[in-house]
Amino acid sequence: MVELFHVHKQYAGEAPALLDVTLGVEKGEFVFLTGPSGAGKSTLMRLVFCAEVATSGQLLVFGRNVAKLTPSQIPYLRRSIGVVFQDFKLLPDRTVAENVAFPLEVRGLPAREVRRKVEAILRSVGLELKAAKFPLSLSGGEQQRVAVARALVGDPALLLADEPTGNLDPERTLEVMDLLQAANARGTTVLVATHDRSLLERYKKRVVALERGRVVADGAEIRRAGRA
Amino acid sequence: MIALLRRPAYFVSRALEAMARRPRVALVATLTLAVALFVTGLFAAALRGAERLLGAWAGEVSISVYLDPGADLERAREAAADAAAGRRVEAVSAPEALRRFREALGPQGGLLDGVKPDLLPPSIEVSAPGIRLAEARALASRLAQVPGAREVDYGNAWLEKLERLLGRLRWAGAALFAALAAGAAVLVANTLRLGVFARREEIEIMRLVGATDLFVEAPFLIEGLLQGALGGSLAAVALLAVAAAAAPALAGATGLALARADLVPGSLVGALVGGGAALGLFSSALAVGRELRRR
Repeated sequence: MVELFHVHKQYAGEAPALLDVTLGVEKGEFVFLTGPSGAGKSTLMRLVFCAEVATSGQLLVFGRNVAKLTPSQIPYLRRSIGVVFQDFKLLPDRTVAENVAFPLEVRGLPAREVRRKVEAILRSVGLELKAAKFPLSLSGGEQQRVAVARALVGDPALLLADEPTGNLDPERTLEVMDLLQAANARGTTVLVATHDRSLLERYKKRVVALERGRVVADGAEIRRAGRA
Repeated sequence: MIALLRRPAYFVSRALEAMARRPRVALVATLTLAVALFVTGLFAAALRGAERLLGAWAGEVSISVYLDPGADLERAREAAADAAAGRRVEAVSAPEALRRFREALGPQGGLLDGVKPDLLPPSIEVSAPGIRLAEARALASRLAQVPGAREVDYGNAWLEKLERLLGRLRWAGAALFAALAAGAAVLVANTLRLGVFARREEIEIMRLVGATDLFVEAPFLIEGLLQGALGGSLAAVALLAVAAAAAPALAGATGLALARADLVPGSLVGALVGGGAALGLFSSALAVGRELRRR
């Protein structure tokens, strides 16, 4: 699903963000990407959804070398990837339903199908009664559920979540994590960047630890080693 | 482009929706376009008026064919009428020429008392309103073939000066017009960039969920087109109002029969609306293209 071979990412005038990262994520896996701030988690996520280009090395997403994609091919790759951010990235002047409908409109789906899918996904995240509300009238947890709904509405093969619970209290954190886990149970590959150790302990999933741009550990044993 | 052609209603509704969501931004952009186009249109109307005025002065031109004293005046008139088809041709005999000269001298007409009636040569007068220098030259050379013609005078020096003046005016006008239009384009592009900047978050999210560049651009292009056409229409209405108010005063001052349509013809109104739409479209493409390249 996602394969990185000796990937290196360097921003001008800064220390390397990623150093010789080799990593594979299988189809249907749920992987936590963990490490302190500045470890390279977000950079790795941004490389996967083609917001950045690796300085060297190879990155395959769905078996395709992203370095060889033309700019016009990138949007089509992104349609198979759902992304959730810590700051939600919702449009404040659009309703919950309009925010969630966005990825489907981009694909040119008929309005009736968009409505049907949006209603279904909002039901699944428990926000069917908030469809006509604007994001800023919702709680942080609800806003993140809207963001998760937007990421999942297009049935992506891969879901990337960058610190999805960073702004939420423990109860809302579990609600959002349960949604991600449910998506994984339906077959979506999930990659979650977090530095919240309690999540690693609660959800017994594969953990990849990054430090200063390097993979320093990979596997379930990290929880026991307490690297996060 | 295919996406735009397949779903025009969707993109138009998105553009209208965006303008309704941010009416101030849309209003500022439309008014900026209107002001820029009004100034450009005003200049075009002034240029047109000036050219009309000079053209009217050129309309005073008449070509004189001076004949030998014994020439057959009627035969010469017929030949001149053939050479200058469609123009007013008049035969002026020697005594008639003297009478006119005396009349022109007014109170000093008495100075001509006692001179022979054939002092001045007979001539053929050809009225050539609005004639251009090249045409006047060609007509003069044809009139030189009139039987008995001795000299042809078409006010060469005056016409050449006028032609040069008009030529310079046209060049200066075109250069100023281009500078004004370029200034308007920069102003409009910067205003529309503000609109794009205000929606950079929306653009970022669109791209995040897999929108192609064209999908992102299309509503902005339609917005630019609509705002441009609206701004152009406003400029045209304002210009027509100014022309209607100024035409009588200008007509009085110059003695020309100037109407509103002489200053602001339909073609200028069309150019303002069409040019506004094109300017809005181009400026939007520039603004949103820059934002997309920035990412």
